[in-house]
Amino acid sequence: MDLFLQTIINGVLIGGILISLTIGFQLTFGVLHVIDFAVGGWVMLGGYAAYWLVELAGIDPFISIFLVFALFALIGGAIGPLIYHVRTSRYARPDLMALAFTFGLFLLMRGGALWLWSYNSRNVESVFSGEFLTLGPVTIPLLRLSAFLMAIVICLGVFVLLYRTRFGMAVRAVAQNRDHAGLMGVNVKRVSAYVYGLYTGITASAGVLIATIYSVNPSVGIRYTLFAFFVAVLAGLGSVGGVLIAGLALGLMESIVSTYIGTRYSLLVVFGVLFLVLLVAPKGVLGRGI
Amino acid sequence: MSGVLNVTDLKTGYGKQEIVHGISITAQPGHITCVFGPNGSGKSTVIKGIAGLLPPWAGKITLGDADLTGLPVHEMVRKGIVMMPQGGGVFPRFSVMENLRMGGYSLKDTREVDDRIETLIADYPNLQRRRNVAAGSLSGGEQMMVAIARALVPNPAFVMLDEPSAGLSPALVNETMDRVLALRERGVGVIMIEQNIREALPVADSVYIFAGGKNKFSGTRDDIRSDEHLMSIYMGGTVSE
Repeated sequence: MDLFLQTIINGVLIGGILISLTIGFQLTFGVLHVIDFAVGGWVMLGGYAAYWLVELAGIDPFISIFLVFALFALIGGAIGPLIYHVRTSRYARPDLMALAFTFGLFLLMRGGALWLWSYNSRNVESVFSGEFLTLGPVTIPLLRLSAFLMAIVICLGVFVLLYRTRFGMAVRAVAQNRDHAGLMGVNVKRVSAYVYGLYTGITASAGVLIATIYSVNPSVGIRYTLFAFFVAVLAGLGSVGGVLIAGLALGLMESIVSTYIGTRYSLLVVFGVLFLVLLVAPKGVLGRGI
Repeated sequence: MSGVLNVTDLKTGYGKQEIVHGISITAQPGHITCVFGPNGSGKSTVIKGIAGLLPPWAGKITLGDADLTGLPVHEMVRKGIVMMPQGGGVFPRFSVMENLRMGGYSLKDTREVDDRIETLIADYPNLQRRRNVAAGSLSGGEQMMVAIARALVPNPAFVMLDEPSAGLSPALVNETMDRVLALRERGVGVIMIEQNIREALPVADSVYIFAGGKNKFSGTRDDIRSDEHLMSIYMGGTVSE
């Protein structure tokens, strides 16, 4: 029973991280209609940014996460108009062009990281590393708890931005119909670029948390791209609310499979479930957009 | 208010295909200018071109003394030109109120927007009652009313309506035309594309007919009524669908 309780708590804590990893990705799909293959690349780069900020400047990842967010939001905001341009080009199949573009971006990130920082995994040290909180029968690594709380803060921020601000209203309007939003006076290109910047900022921040809990090397990207795809599809592509449920579900699933079956099977089970979801409910658990 | 909306020799289209081959329109403020024409005559494409949804390939768009040629769509609202797309173009997942607030998006002062919405919505008792309902769950007629009310929020000089009567029952078509007349009473210039000539002609101050992406006819309502040839083509039911 204690083991089960511990497994559930671990799952929820991982789920929070997965939510923060996917929420921006989902937003980008909803607004720009771009499936960003580079999502895991942003996670990886965010992790490296945290690593170097610890190594070179001694800044704890729970503080540097804000710097990483700002840095990557700027980078994403600069790339955003380019992605928008590719996605709305008049040539045939701009959706596939955008996918190919982000895939290329992903390869560039992975190759660049390998070239710059070699294949070795790097650990990101935080003041919370190795500390534990014991609550009756369960032990909670303080690092995971803090990362979970940070992820929750990020998600709350996204929801406040989307549902309580003028900018959020414009974002939701663009997600529903780009042309109609433009007719209302929304600068669709600018909003799209900001959303892309928000997405890269959030995803790199999730990368900081992930690198601090596990570690980072140039090849971790693909794993998180797959996780983001999984959560997004389970949630229903474009549904930001569904990410909360789907992220928790994936976290619990991973935790349960790792504890009771074996870590090596977790991806297998995850994709078995994804396959079933696509078969049974191709629109996802909530099946609606933002 | 602002002056005349002048479109001179506009050419535009989709991708590489030119649909509108040099069309000219003059719309007076506070007048209803109706545009008729068969399917594929470029009616919708013209107003998309004026609204900035499609870039002009040639020609000129002016409002009073201001040259609006080539402005992006989100700038046009700020210049006083609002377009209502076919079906109304409401945001289905937004409530009626949120839709109306989107109508005022181009205005920075949100309190002013809310005041204006309250004044406007008083004329629409149905919307008043259903202000917190998602617009996507409203009937086609109610969505059209949301769209027309929403077009008024930014206090436009001109409203362009793309087939406001399409798909509505006869009673609702009447209500829609009444709403269009009310726009004129407010001093708003209207450019209205219609297939339903029988309903639209009585409210029109001036009339344009397009065919094949070109001007075919322009004049007053009485001009078209006295033109037997045009009447037989466009009112006789052969092309009017």
